[in-house]
Order: sequence, then structure tokens, then C-alpha cells
Amino acid sequence: MAQIVGAFGVPHNPHFPTWVAQRAPLAEEIERMYGELARRLEEMRPDTLVYFTSDHYNLFWESLPIFSIAVADSAHGASDYPELQRDLEIDSELARAVQSQLVNADFDVGMLQELEFDHTVIAPLHFLAPDPAPRLVPVYINAFIRPLPSARRCLALGRAIREAVEAAPGGRVAVVASGSFSVEIGGPRISEESHTGVPDPDWVERVLELLRAADLDTLVSEATDARLWEAGNAGGELLDWIAMLAMFDPRPPDFLDVQPQFGHAYAAWSLA
Amino acid sequence: MSVYAVNKLCRRVVHEPALRQALNSDPEPALRAARPPLSEDELAALLAGDVGTLSKLGCNHFLLHQLGRWQVLGLDLPLYAERIREAHRDERAARSSSASPSA
Repeated sequence: MAQIVGAFGVPHNPHFPTWVAQRAPLAEEIERMYGELARRLEEMRPDTLVYFTSDHYNLFWESLPIFSIAVADSAHGASDYPELQRDLEIDSELARAVQSQLVNADFDVGMLQELEFDHTVIAPLHFLAPDPAPRLVPVYINAFIRPLPSARRCLALGRAIREAVEAAPGGRVAVVASGSFSVEIGGPRISEESHTGVPDPDWVERVLELLRAADLDTLVSEATDARLWEAGNAGGELLDWIAMLAMFDPRPPDFLDVQPQFGHAYAAWSLA
Repeated sequence: MSVYAVNKLCRRVVHEPALRQALNSDPEPALRAARPPLSEDELAALLAGDVGTLSKLGCNHFLLHQLGRWQVLGLDLPLYAERIREAHRDERAARSSSASPSA
């Protein structure tokens, strides 16, 4: 039976790899924060990463699944940032087993047979898992085009995937959630200085407080659609974190740090 | 209004270099070739880089900002952001005053 050995929450700012390569002012901080997570991930020696993320209008368009699991053998990315290029392997056997078990358990999750990754996968793994990366089980949650799934449903999704993973044959599995807590991209709530903004810093603080308290139930009850919208047009990305948190029994993170100017955080849980 | 057509066009800008090139060299035919078709109001706003109007029409901001990011239709990100701020000046002011701590 597969064992869930750790969990991570990461941001996915597409510019971070370039900023670090060019030694931009934030390079050291970005390296330090991602580095804390990468070191822990390396120690966990996972064979597979269950990777919760949300398509940024790159992958799905004509039809928009609420949930979908990629079952291809591999995929390339980033489709939306030409400067980020990488092939990543997918644990298609586990991905198919999870998708199949979810459907059998009345959880209607789509099967994605061919795909390109966008920056939400490629940018974090640039830091978290330089070559070779563990194989992925990419799980897509619709966090952008309303209606979004409820936080409660994402909690149930995470729990169902945990059951499926733990019932599957296999090795060591870590879980990653890719997303921010409060971000507005290009909308009316951008800052005076940029085309992005953090509309709801209080929500960022509240999410951090609930993460430290390992109070998943309160996080889920407070993460209403209205609150996620208040957090910005990318505020739904918290749903990826909620699904990740549902993959293990609640406990405080072993590492948690924040970049408030981006409305996002870095977190790690060692579970083995 | 067919906001969907604008959203779809903005998405194509990310993934189609040839479209980006056409929007900078001879934009009107490229916009008229879009399917589903853009309305005349949408077409005029796009040709003018008037993202403020497109924002008010209800276009998706994440997709709309791609016009600035990819520097098409006379836009770049600072100009894009300036026009969005201007189009939403009143609600931004209201939001800013409600967020300020009371004296």
C-alpha cells in the first residue's frame, strides 16, 4: 500500500525562476523559502507527487471540468510561459487507479488523457524538484471560472483521493498544493504599482492562523465562495490547499512562511 | 454583447504567436476573423486598446490582462493597469475609504 509521507503548499508565481536566475532583489528570499521545502521533499524520497492545481485558462476551454485527473504518461510545459520549459513524468498507473476509484465511489472526476502543464506546475517544481522530479498525479480543481466547487467538496475530494492512494499498491507519496490565498490579476482590485494586487490581506492572515492551528474544519466553513471572491480573482486557489490538507489528519505545519506582498505562503508537513 | 468572444480572443493571444503578430501589424482583419465574431463595440474597444470599456462589459480580467502582457493592440502591462484603474476609479476609491481605519 502506498504511504503518504509529506505535504506541501507552494505559490506558483511564474516570474520567480527568472528572478532568481537574474539575481533580482527577491532572489535570496525566494530561494530560501522554496529551499526549505525542497530540502524536506528530498528527505522524504517520494516516488510520486499528488499535485493539486488549477488551470489558468490554458488547458480547459471548450469544456470546463470541476475536477479532472491527468492520466497521460508525461507532459510538457509551461504552455503559457515559453521561458519555462520542462518535461515531467506522470504516474499514470496511480493516476488511473485514483480516478477509477473516485468514479466508483460516486465522485465524478474527469480523465485528462493528453495535456500540457502551465506555470502552476512548472514554476514550483523548478525549485521543489530539480531533475529528476518524482512522477506526478496531477489533479485539477476549477478555481477560476465560476461556479467553483465548494470548499466542502474539495475537502471531500482530498479525503477520497487519500483513500484511493492508501489503497493502491506502491511506494511513497507526497502531496503538493499550488496556489495563493489572495491575488487579483488584472482586475479592478490591482495595486497602484502593478497589474496584480492582494485585495484581502486579512484573509491571508486568517488562513495562516487556521493553518497554524490545524483547524481545517473552520478553514473550510469560512472559505465561502463570497470570501474567495473577496480574496481576488485568483482567490479560489485556496481550494487546492484545502484538498491537499484533506490528504492527512490535521496537524500544524512543520514549516510555514509567507510573502504578504504576494498573498501567498510556503508550507510543509512531514507525515512519515 | 458576446463577452465570450473577447475572452476567447485573449486566450488565443497567449497560445498563438501568429495572432499576436497579426494584432500588431494589421489588427482589424485579424479581429474580424475571430470566431465567434466580436460585436462592433468589442471590436472598436479592442482596436483602441480600451480595456477599461472591455472590463466594464464584463470581460474576464485574467484573460484581458494578457493583451498587456503580450504587448498587442498598443498595450503593455503598465498601460493596461492604468486603464483598468481609471475605469474602476469610483469603486476603488470606495473600497479604499472603507478599508481605512476609522479615526
